[in-house]
Amino acid sequence: MNSPAKTRRSWVDWFFFDWHPAEALGAVRFYFGLGLAVYLYFQFDQNLKIDAFGAHFAFTRPIWYFGLLGIDTNIPWISFAVMPLLLIACLFFALGKWTKPAIIAIIIGIFYMKGVRDSFSGDVHHREIPIFAILILFLFSKCDRMFGIDARKKGWAPIEDWEASWPLRAMQIYIALFYFWALMAKVRLSGLDWFTGGGRIQEVLISRALRDGFTPTGEVVNLSLGWDLAQNPQLIWFFGALVFLFELFFPLILFVRDWRLKLVALIGAAVFHLANYFLMNVQFFLYPFVFVTFFNMAEFHRWLMGKVRLRGRKVAEA
Amino acid sequence: MSKQSVKRFLALYFFIFFGAIFLRVDYFPFSWVPMYGYHLAGESVTVGIGDKSERERGFPAQRANGERLYISADDLNVPNANYRRLYHQRAFNNGPPQDDRERAALIAFNRWWYETLVGPDPRLDQRYHMQLLDSVNRTFGYGSDDPQRIVRLEAPLLFATFDRDSVASGDLSKPFVERRTAIITEQGGILRKGDKMIPMKTSREREVIE
Repeated sequence: MNSPAKTRRSWVDWFFFDWHPAEALGAVRFYFGLGLAVYLYFQFDQNLKIDAFGAHFAFTRPIWYFGLLGIDTNIPWISFAVMPLLLIACLFFALGKWTKPAIIAIIIGIFYMKGVRDSFSGDVHHREIPIFAILILFLFSKCDRMFGIDARKKGWAPIEDWEASWPLRAMQIYIALFYFWALMAKVRLSGLDWFTGGGRIQEVLISRALRDGFTPTGEVVNLSLGWDLAQNPQLIWFFGALVFLFELFFPLILFVRDWRLKLVALIGAAVFHLANYFLMNVQFFLYPFVFVTFFNMAEFHRWLMGKVRLRGRKVAEA
Repeated sequence: MSKQSVKRFLALYFFIFFGAIFLRVDYFPFSWVPMYGYHLAGESVTVGIGDKSERERGFPAQRANGERLYISADDLNVPNANYRRLYHQRAFNNGPPQDDRERAALIAFNRWWYETLVGPDPRLDQRYHMQLLDSVNRTFGYGSDDPQRIVRLEAPLLFATFDRDSVASGDLSKPFVERRTAIITEQGGILRKGDKMIPMKTSREREVIE
């Protein structure tokens, strides 16, 4: 007979293994993959805004792995070839066809396109970092076993709930703590000076608004909303305080099971990213697609398909 | 994978990804997420005022044979966003933000491993302007003795300086505006501020906010 001590599950089991049903992982993979294709296109499309057969720019500051590999020049047509392959790999990943090879292809594609984009002038952006961490979890999970072409064709047996739950929970931890670490970085580097008065936010608002200069009538060419906000330090301080609270408490979402509460929190996060884009041109605006990892997207998919079928029936009857 | 193997995998995964945070690693695909975290409040805030038409015309340049020309983003085949950074920042010997913050406020252990495994603080030997000149010549395939090679590159740009009180009160209407020109030659960089010619510093804190 099992003693209560033996039957009681550890908090690790509770936290990682008991959170999502088996069907959730494949559905998240599907919606994440679709979002990833759009996200990566907009991250790397600037590599395509040059002449495919024009000059081979000698990188000013190659990213570290280009340095190791001896890649010191941009061969533009390669980006034009890699982009469609990257997007096709995202679709294969989403549809569950050759899922694991597709993940590896996506990772290689990200490394290449990011390397090119960031080596021109040496500014290394952070927008692909959470994507890489999430893709690693998909790679080591059984995300291909359900809700995909291979799973249906090969008749794979369904996975167990815990096998779907742990990768999703690990993704959620990474995503939630990404905000928390950003706050810790601010405090480690700048202390509360970051938030004092207009602080760092005001400086970024000013510099971003002025980087394309003024029109002949004296208006800033771009980001006029940011320029207006830059002249309201009290309002900036308020937004800075909101950022502080948001980044400090966002990890609490890891303990919320109610999807409505999670939706409210994640809409708040999406507003944060959109505001950063419209005010400061911070290019994380499509990043909220990663929030699909917080939900049972299989339920959402059933709801969506129900709506589509109902609409189809209504159209047929009319 | 069994549950036990999954636990081991997760321990390793978080050890690596979160270990990078404690070690302050900021090399893709690992990061301690510093992005806009570095803020050094000074007596004033200085920013560049861009001019798209001037930027689109390109860097005023000179070849070794004396010919004058402009070198644009199209000539270099560089995306506009990157060209803007080359023009507004690298030409003025300002590095990417990660170089400014990499060694700022490090604890002793992190300073030790950075200096042992990565090398000296990038702020101590800044030659971004020379890297730009080198990139331009390599892009066009000009060797060190080629009479076609670019020996002088200029980047004229307006800069606005807002004093701290004005910034604190939100009055951005009366900045001190000054035209500066970065002049990059094979011998080094010079900053023309008004009628003053100042050699570019190769070791310093960033003055201009980006």
